[in-house]
Amino acid sequence: MTAPLVEIRELGFHYPDGTPALDGVSLAVARGERVAVLGPTGSGKSTLLQHLNGLLRPTAGGVWIEGVTVDAGPGLSDIRRKVGLVFQDPNDQLFLPTLMEDVAFGPLNDGVGPVDAAARATAMLRELGLDGVGARAAHHLSGGERRLAALATVLVSRPVVLALDEPTGDLDARGRMRLVDLLRARGETLLVATHDLTLARALCGRGVVLYGGRVVADRELGALLADRALLERYGLESPSGE
Amino acid sequence: MSFHHLDQFATVPSPVTAMPPVARLVGATSVAVGAATLPLGAWPAAAALGALVAAMTLLARVPVPLLLRRMSGPLAFVLLASAGLLVFVPGDPVLDLGWVAVTRPGVERFGFVLARAVVALSAAVLLVTTTEFPDLLDALRRLRLPRVVTTALSLAYRLLYLLMEELERLLRAARSRNAGAGAASRRRLAAGVAAAVLQRAFARAERTHRAMLARGYQGELATLTEWRWRAWMVAALATLLGLVLVTAVLARG
Amino acid sequence: MAHIPDGFLSAPVVAGTAAAAAAVLALAAQRSRQRLEEREAPVLGAATAFVFAAQMLNFPLGAGTSAHLLGGVLVTAVVGPWSGMLVLFAVVLVQALLFQDGGIAAVGANTLNLAVCGGGGGFVLYKLSLGLVGEGRRRRVGAAAVAAFGSTLLVGCAVAAELALSGTVPLMPALVIVGGAHGIVAVGEAALTAAILGALLRARPDLAAAVAVPPRATRRWGYGVLALAVGLAVVATGVASSRPDVLTAALDRLGAVGGEPAGTAGSLPNSRSPIGGPWVAAAVGVLITFALVWGAVRLARPRRSRS
Repeated sequence: MTAPLVEIRELGFHYPDGTPALDGVSLAVARGERVAVLGPTGSGKSTLLQHLNGLLRPTAGGVWIEGVTVDAGPGLSDIRRKVGLVFQDPNDQLFLPTLMEDVAFGPLNDGVGPVDAAARATAMLRELGLDGVGARAAHHLSGGERRLAALATVLVSRPVVLALDEPTGDLDARGRMRLVDLLRARGETLLVATHDLTLARALCGRGVVLYGGRVVADRELGALLADRALLERYGLESPSGE
Repeated sequence: MSFHHLDQFATVPSPVTAMPPVARLVGATSVAVGAATLPLGAWPAAAALGALVAAMTLLARVPVPLLLRRMSGPLAFVLLASAGLLVFVPGDPVLDLGWVAVTRPGVERFGFVLARAVVALSAAVLLVTTTEFPDLLDALRRLRLPRVVTTALSLAYRLLYLLMEELERLLRAARSRNAGAGAASRRRLAAGVAAAVLQRAFARAERTHRAMLARGYQGELATLTEWRWRAWMVAALATLLGLVLVTAVLARG
Repeated sequence: MAHIPDGFLSAPVVAGTAAAAAAVLALAAQRSRQRLEEREAPVLGAATAFVFAAQMLNFPLGAGTSAHLLGGVLVTAVVGPWSGMLVLFAVVLVQALLFQDGGIAAVGANTLNLAVCGGGGGFVLYKLSLGLVGEGRRRRVGAAAVAAFGSTLLVGCAVAAELALSGTVPLMPALVIVGGAHGIVAVGEAALTAAILGALLRARPDLAAAVAVPPRATRRWGYGVLALAVGLAVVATGVASSRPDVLTAALDRLGAVGGEPAGTAGSLPNSRSPIGGPWVAAAVGVLITFALVWGAVRLARPRRSRS
């Protein structure tokens, strides 16, 4: 049996001030799976995602990507390239004067030369339908464009796992559908932290519910969403239109 | 002071905007420094440098009214600051205002300070009108400014827009609660808002830093842009620098 | 007139202040690189953006006047003196380039005033005051307020000195007008620095407490320097008020142009002063400023093992 692409074992984390955030989380994700991590605000979803590429260090248990431990060792930069993390606020991810520079930032850090990095950034922007805005600053983009741009800064490094934190926070229905189509077409392994059940239903095949830093449910998404009692108990609303 | 106009200028294709940003920066700086440091009374030299800026403005196809409008704010400040010269420079009084008198050397100095300021200012305004901030930053990087400074500026640029949005939101929220009546209350409000903005700036810096680390940041910001120098550009910059130098020497000779 | 526009400074002053500012900045870049942590670049970006944003807020001083934050003490107290000076330089530079707030040729002078005197000098004052009052949030805020007041006066005096050395305005009126204006602004700066640092200390003690309180041994130095400064100030005020012409005469002898009547056109001050005179004066001034700031910051930063 080959190791799962992402393996999280007995992961525990508490903040330096002692606030517990994660408690014995275990989760294995196979290549090509699309997993929704559901839960109300403060359930530990963002904290979990930030463990996938070593931004936060576990206080118990661990995370393995393609069988390699995520720790401060020399393999960390490789893991950070493999795990693409898209933050909740696109503004946190678009920090350079132009969009081009933002998108080329990852490849440049991976040692790609300026000419190739620029070429890859241009291709990436075109792929997401953002051609023509590369020279602009992020504050001149619309909310939807900014969300796509943040995604582009991560996709350009060709990650094998994409971890998205509340990707539809600032999108309307059409923007959401566009994102779903895009991600389904690309086929990266996905971990999507969200409380947007409509997004989860459209995008993912499996649902994991986090509550108080623990995994309280992990099953096929359709079955999970059909369990009204469970959704209600853990503060999740059922998807609109039902 | 507003800053939303800064990068809203469509760069008009012209010989000036074709030059690498570092050439534009060096050129404008040399004219500004040349004009600002003219010895008092060197009127012909000031006029010559002024003509040089005018020529560059025409070359860059920047509308003159726009240039003048953008100069007016800083110029008002210069006018205010230099008005004191009229009375503080001792000499023959030409206009007695009771307990102070406008003196002849005062008027001369006022006039010349103003002339120097206008020429230097117009060069600076021409630079920002024809150069977007990312290009300016690229020029500063090429001029070997400390890396800490250029990195801080790159990150500050985006952050500034975000902070200004938050600043406006905070002020609006405070006003909607009827805060800010009376100077003391306004002062408290402003200090509170500034403190809140500072905290948010640092909180965002921390999140941005995580986003940078997540994309492999190891402490160095690499640059993308490449500008090609052509022979005519080198010649143009050299000519400009030469003209400024000759003017400066003649003004002192 | 915290940001000197172009046109007010003479060539020697422009060159001298630029050289001095460049020297201090080179040192600062080297020092801050030695201490550069992974985290620091975004924090410095945030500090730079904050100073910009804060300078766009005008604070009413009463009687229809208003001023904005200079931020020298605030910034150096939070990010440290070397990085702080670089942040303040970045602000001066971009304000000159983008907003024409301060001239391009005057960037050196404005950096010397706002970053080196206001930031570095302000930090020395902060460190000295901290040494006098000791540990504690209230005391830290108080020390910062005192330092911000002193730092703003320092900026005012530097501006006045540069204007006088340039022969633009005689020294005494410059000191009275520019220094006096900064005296008023200093009150606002002190109040703002205290308010903002106080709020920051409450919310983020880790950031604002980055500057260590000097140990007792340094505290004695603090008292010594304070006494010396007060003594000098008293003597200088006495001399200046009884014999207003003494200082200008002294500057005249140095070759700098003071308050002599310019007389008829053609005998303008600059052409009459001895060849190289103002340049020598500028060079001497540069050396003195540099030695003072460098020595003072060294003194205020005893070898810390951590950080």
